[in-house]
Amino acid sequence: MKASFPNLGYDTYALKTFVEDLGGEVILAPPNSRRTVELGALHSPELICMPYKITLGNMLEAIELGADTLFMAAGARKCRFGYYHYLHERALKDLGKECRFIAVTQYSPFDFVFKVMPGIFGVSPFRVIRAVAKLLAKSRLTQEFRQQLNRKMALDFDGAEQAKPKALSVIERAHTLKEIQAARGEVRRIFALNGSEPAIRLGLVGEIYFMIEQFASQEIEKELGKMGAEVVFERSLYRHIRHLLSSDPAFVRSGRLARRYLQESPGGEAIRTVGEAVYFQQQGLDGIVHIFPFTCMPENIALEALQKLSEETGLPVLSLSFDEHTSRTGLLTRLEAFVDLVKRRKLGRRLHRN
Amino acid sequence: MKVGIPRALLYHRYGRFWEEFLAGIGAEVVVSRRTDKVLLQKGLSHVSSEICLPIKIVAGHIEELVGKIDVLFLPRLLWLEDKLYACPKMIGIVDIARMMTGDRVRVVAPKIQGSLWLPHFRAGMELCHDPMRVARALTRARRHIPVHDRTPLFPDGEKRVALLGHFYNIGDDFISRPMVDTLTGHGYRICTKDELPESVLRSRQGFARSIRWVYERELYNAFRFLVDKVDGVCMIVSMGCGPDSLVAEFMRDEAQRRDRPFLQLVIDEHTGTAGIVTRIEAFLELAERRQARALQISDSRLKIGGQGRAA
Repeated sequence: MKASFPNLGYDTYALKTFVEDLGGEVILAPPNSRRTVELGALHSPELICMPYKITLGNMLEAIELGADTLFMAAGARKCRFGYYHYLHERALKDLGKECRFIAVTQYSPFDFVFKVMPGIFGVSPFRVIRAVAKLLAKSRLTQEFRQQLNRKMALDFDGAEQAKPKALSVIERAHTLKEIQAARGEVRRIFALNGSEPAIRLGLVGEIYFMIEQFASQEIEKELGKMGAEVVFERSLYRHIRHLLSSDPAFVRSGRLARRYLQESPGGEAIRTVGEAVYFQQQGLDGIVHIFPFTCMPENIALEALQKLSEETGLPVLSLSFDEHTSRTGLLTRLEAFVDLVKRRKLGRRLHRN
Repeated sequence: MKVGIPRALLYHRYGRFWEEFLAGIGAEVVVSRRTDKVLLQKGLSHVSSEICLPIKIVAGHIEELVGKIDVLFLPRLLWLEDKLYACPKMIGIVDIARMMTGDRVRVVAPKIQGSLWLPHFRAGMELCHDPMRVARALTRARRHIPVHDRTPLFPDGEKRVALLGHFYNIGDDFISRPMVDTLTGHGYRICTKDELPESVLRSRQGFARSIRWVYERELYNAFRFLVDKVDGVCMIVSMGCGPDSLVAEFMRDEAQRRDRPFLQLVIDEHTGTAGIVTRIEAFLELAERRQARALQISDSRLKIGGQGRAA
């Protein structure tokens, strides 16, 4: 079996390890590029959101490289993400691509461990549990890597750029739990800092695919880092898996904090987006950047809540929606203006306090 | 006590029921006026520009009501039977209304999960403290909940077009007037999903089974039922409507397979009437040509058959 799945930022490595643990051979889709999006958009419905287009592009490129089994997350609830796989499957069939398409439902971890994965790979549930444990460890590693990278970029951008490939290769090499543990220390050493503080700290919230896959948001973390802002985030694959296993305290906290604005979950991750934003505000961060795909339904509701939050607390909030036509120049101008605003606001406050 | 209901979204289905119910518990019911440009403009300044047209319209209605009322009655539909969800925006609109109005008005939002009775009873208790009166008003108002049990007739020789779309788009004259006028002006009978029986709309066969949005399943089932009985299918989609962006794709596929013209009209606040009329006319021409071609084919078959018999 030559398995493949859509790219998922740095967590692609974690998923790769997971499938290899279960005995599958992994063919990674090429890194996301202009071509990926264009290929995906060409075979997509007109009004669909951007993650669909990129993931379809990933699949098509993976098939070109010889993948014969495709994995895609599924799980139909209020957000249209749960229906992606129907369209994916149909699009691949229309294009005459011969491959096995496996939609993995997210919301039933019990079935996942005892039925779905053993059924596909022919392994024991015990082995699946071990692989999930490793997936958790590794996605935690990539989450820490991202946090340290963001901090380093805000303080020493060139140094961070040089250190990044080194850290990534350490992560890629780590296979056993012991190695992953060692890699955590290694990554921390690579991004060691001299203890200085970044000029401003911004909270990044938004739709989960955009939070994880840097390409979709046009590497917003990197751009903000270049402008001297440390990007703080909470959403990651690690937290998402913890949430699916019902063991994520941050999710409960988000639900509690968001209640002030959203009393009912409108689906997707809107509750989390709002809850995290409130949390970041309480932690004293200097601003919030909200990213989501164009026409995303739950995040549009969250946007209204974030506007209200900004109105009530005076916290600067920048909401950015992306699709494949989003111009990079326009984005950079908006980010620069926002970072300037936040910096001045912080400076003004400091002067006021003195 | 003045209770306001915005004439938008769920009002187009449960409006009469709510009016009767609220009047029954002794409230003075204020319904906002019909949608027009001024209302829409009001709504636009209160919600983000990316949200879909029906939400912008309902925001306008709410803004119009605030100041004239003490209580805003805005039920929140979470799911109906079989755990079929409403779309995220329908669920979120209550929160948007709360954030928009702030302290200016009290929002009463019965949370509909499955059945209508209990949430409405609770909401009634918030407004009037006499349980017997609330129960009585509810029972009396119940007959206004629309029930669909009759199958419409499709006589031969009639020109028909299916006009599909969410009931809050079709039911709102401001949105659907140009489409309806153009279609009827060309002598077509319009079939909508609201005239179909429940047994058709709630069907769980085929792809409908995997659709977990309540109104989307109805739309898809209505499409499956109507597609063979009409000359063409015209679908109204609001820009940014997530569920429609997916399900319309499957409908388009199906329509292509069955050789029926399929027109997807994407609307937002900038949509002009002229553009819509042109597109519908082109679509009707296509439908007529297909009809003529079908006639020709059956005609020539008859002729061949006739010659065969003569020889």
